[in-house]
Amino acid sequence: MSTPTHDPHSGDRPDRGTDTATPGTDPTNPSSASAQGTADTADPNPADVDMDEPPAGGSFARYFLRKLGGAATSMVLVIVLGFFAFRMLPGDPVLKIAKERPMSPAQIAELRSQYGLDKPVIVQFWDYLVGIVTGDLGESYVYRKSVSSLIGDYLGPTLLLTGTAAVIAIALGLWLGQLSAWRRNSLFDKLASSTSLIFWSVPTFWLGLILLMIFGGTLQWLPTGGMITPGLDPWSPAGIIDVITHLILPVVSLVAVVYAQFLMIMRASLLEEMSEDYLTTARAKGLTEDEVRRRHAVPNALLPTVTVVFLHIGGLIAGAVTVEAVFSWPGLGKLTFEAIRGPDLPLLQGTFVVFSALIIVMNLAADIVYRFLDPRVRRV
Amino acid sequence: MVTQHSLRRTVRVSLRRCLAGIAALALAGSMAASPAQAADSEAPAAENVLRIATDGFIDSFNPFTSFYLVPTNTFRYMYENLVANDAKDGSVTEGLATEWNTDSDGKVWTYTIRPDMKWSDGEPLTSKDVAWTYNQMMDNDEMAVANGSLVENFAKVEAPDDSTVKITLKKAQANNPGQEIPVVPEHVWSKIDNPGEFKNDEKSVGSGPFQLDSYEANKSITLKANPNFWRGKPKLDEIQYRYYTNSDAQVQAIRSGEVDFITGLSPDQFTALENADNVELNDGNGRRFNGISINPGVADADGKEFGTGNEALGDKKVRQAIRAGIDTETLRKQVMQDYAQPATSFIPAVYPDWALSPDNPVVSGFDVDRAKTLLDDAGWKEGSDGIREKDGEKLQLRFLTDADVPTEQSTAKFLKPWMKDIGIDLKNESTDADTESERTTKGDYDMYFSGWSINPDPDYQLSINTCGQRPDAEGNGGTSQDGWCNKEFDKLYQAQHVELDQAKRQELVQKALAIHYEEAPSVTLWYPNQLEAYRSDRFENFTKQPSDGGAIANQVGYWGYSSVEPVSAGEATGGGMGAGGWIGIGAAVIVVLGGGGWLLSRRRKSDDRE
Repeated sequence: MSTPTHDPHSGDRPDRGTDTATPGTDPTNPSSASAQGTADTADPNPADVDMDEPPAGGSFARYFLRKLGGAATSMVLVIVLGFFAFRMLPGDPVLKIAKERPMSPAQIAELRSQYGLDKPVIVQFWDYLVGIVTGDLGESYVYRKSVSSLIGDYLGPTLLLTGTAAVIAIALGLWLGQLSAWRRNSLFDKLASSTSLIFWSVPTFWLGLILLMIFGGTLQWLPTGGMITPGLDPWSPAGIIDVITHLILPVVSLVAVVYAQFLMIMRASLLEEMSEDYLTTARAKGLTEDEVRRRHAVPNALLPTVTVVFLHIGGLIAGAVTVEAVFSWPGLGKLTFEAIRGPDLPLLQGTFVVFSALIIVMNLAADIVYRFLDPRVRRV
Repeated sequence: MVTQHSLRRTVRVSLRRCLAGIAALALAGSMAASPAQAADSEAPAAENVLRIATDGFIDSFNPFTSFYLVPTNTFRYMYENLVANDAKDGSVTEGLATEWNTDSDGKVWTYTIRPDMKWSDGEPLTSKDVAWTYNQMMDNDEMAVANGSLVENFAKVEAPDDSTVKITLKKAQANNPGQEIPVVPEHVWSKIDNPGEFKNDEKSVGSGPFQLDSYEANKSITLKANPNFWRGKPKLDEIQYRYYTNSDAQVQAIRSGEVDFITGLSPDQFTALENADNVELNDGNGRRFNGISINPGVADADGKEFGTGNEALGDKKVRQAIRAGIDTETLRKQVMQDYAQPATSFIPAVYPDWALSPDNPVVSGFDVDRAKTLLDDAGWKEGSDGIREKDGEKLQLRFLTDADVPTEQSTAKFLKPWMKDIGIDLKNESTDADTESERTTKGDYDMYFSGWSINPDPDYQLSINTCGQRPDAEGNGGTSQDGWCNKEFDKLYQAQHVELDQAKRQELVQKALAIHYEEAPSVTLWYPNQLEAYRSDRFENFTKQPSDGGAIANQVGYWGYSSVEPVSAGEATGGGMGAGGWIGIGAAVIVVLGGGGWLLSRRRKSDDRE
């Protein structure tokens, strides 16, 4: 009877992420900086999940209301911040647009009034609040379209990109993570963990550019930007294949940078399970080591992991900003990038609010799913 | 533990599905991994579509309201003007009008419209369309957003018959008023309820060589050849702009043959493409200047000074000393790697009729001794640390640059020691473009790195150097180039503005530029070249403006792409599956076999236990 490597943090409490360096939102890490930038009120660090929440006591309704209240507060802060943060930016959008153009002061004044910039800031803020309540995020200066319709147009490509990347990164991370934990301190473990952490510390745009140069420019295997070759119907077989070809490099860049976090979560979670008595029981039944891992340890380790994964999806969406800019992917990230170049204040506000909302909703979902899935939180 | 058991099963099943999904994706990926060319060959008529990389903003394709660079350039292809600017040298040449004349005092301009012209939809094009377009811009503020300044001086525009347009001006002007105003079809635009908000972003009707066919925001713009273009249908079927946010990606895209033309390359990107297969480079003389604006004591239109500029710069001698202390030739060679032309004043050498001649006696070069003498004369004496002083105050100046622009940063590095040599302590303040723009608007600077693109006629650029273009008392509304004001310059501006004799007008412009040079409210450093590249295996016969050594993109006119023709057929890059395809298939096979085998083995072993 072999005893798996003992984990010092065995216990009933879901105390994941303390014995291993779990990559959360590290302010020094450039790839997570965007996540921080868009929603500093929502910290997707798994180590913080529920640590403030007593595992016992309290009805679900109270728990739910408390979490919902927190999310609502975050959202209000985001909405207020979304207005004033961008108003504090230097530069006059109208002058920037008019720069180097033969424009008379009358034309500039006309633009200013069209953008509503001639009104006092407090009036603009009121208009913005009323707009948000009625679902109107204003009109983009550059595109001359409503911000909500623009966000609607660009959401699809972002979901396709981040969705594909999330599925692959999660699957790859979890698979490598459980193998790493089971073979703790082996060469495989060291290689898998260190490789993932090396990718994790690489700036996303840099990795993207390198991939672009090698596979796009030099080898010419894959397209260098965009989502589809113009003129192709995205729903035709050729169009679908074309989109997939365009998807490969951005997805690889995103996956390479983020899969480490899933690997680490899974590794930590499984290490914790490995000291549990039921595994000894399983071994006593005569199951092979492999079967013990696959049939008993991994499924149990997966339960808490699934909830933490939710938290990271929000961060992944925010991380798409850089990748979309590098690969000219026509999604929300690129839209934000363009809005910053403008500067297109209503669009910046809109994408800021939407990104933040996505992360806040993901965090809320994680809290709730966590409560549902992990019996230990309810039971104790 | 029923719940936990079922949950476990759910997770297991999901994991299996997930892996199967990855395998499927990898397989699909391998099918698609054959190189980009294969995908392109499926796009219709690829060999006769000129694909251009772009990253520009599009607000709309409404020529009355849009003012970004990409749409404005597109209008030059979509809509003909009354008169055009020649490819050869930018001089005024025939457009919709075959001839034009003006009465003796330059206040009434009469144009004869070419007969039998048609819009791209086949409807006849007459002088009525021209008059309707101009009147829209004059009567309706919303229609004047983009080009209102061009009709500001118009009193009335009439079409007495189908082939005549008569423009009556408020004040005489020498600059042909029929330039740069896109003429639209009345039969289309008069039916639009709110033409100020019309996006015009599908199937446009115009008179230029290419018409907008479709536009997908942040993806592509497609223009189709106009069979009714009066100069004849272009040889290209289509022009397609493709979006690349990142300029390095554009370089890779031309290397791989995904696009056929790129412009706006940095010297580094340009040299990197020197040895690329089938890529031809164009080092075109640009219509831009870069310079250092020196705060001469900015003031509002009433002459009330504002801002934080160093008072020392109010003295012309100090500004002249700064010019004499800058070795512009070294900057041009080192910072611009020789991809720029030597400069005199703010009209680039690409317009030889107007640019300040280097032989003009006012033009002086890099001369440290002269700089020192000038500063001595201005009363700034060298202190013990080599920095000049006057009334106990050191000569310290701030130089604002954009931290994101490498050329501005390198220029600042050269400037600091050069200024030290003549006794000025230069502090480099590098910041973001928005802060720079805000500070210069408020006059909160001593020197900053600036630049403008200039149109063939110098009138506008001269006008923004007149006293009247300074901002109002609140600091708003100014379009002044350097915040400078000089009565003598203003007089020369007015004189050239109404001078119909071209030779005399040139002389007046030269005099005005000489005053600006001598007064030194800015030091023009160089005229940057426009660096471009195109696929020589696919297209040939690009037209440059000016035809001798000019640029292809961003012209004032529609010459650049109208003459382009495909290189003989059959030379298009071959299809077939490249190494990438095979590697992709290999990888997919491994994933599918490995993953499938693993899943199968799991399935067999499970269910018989537990």
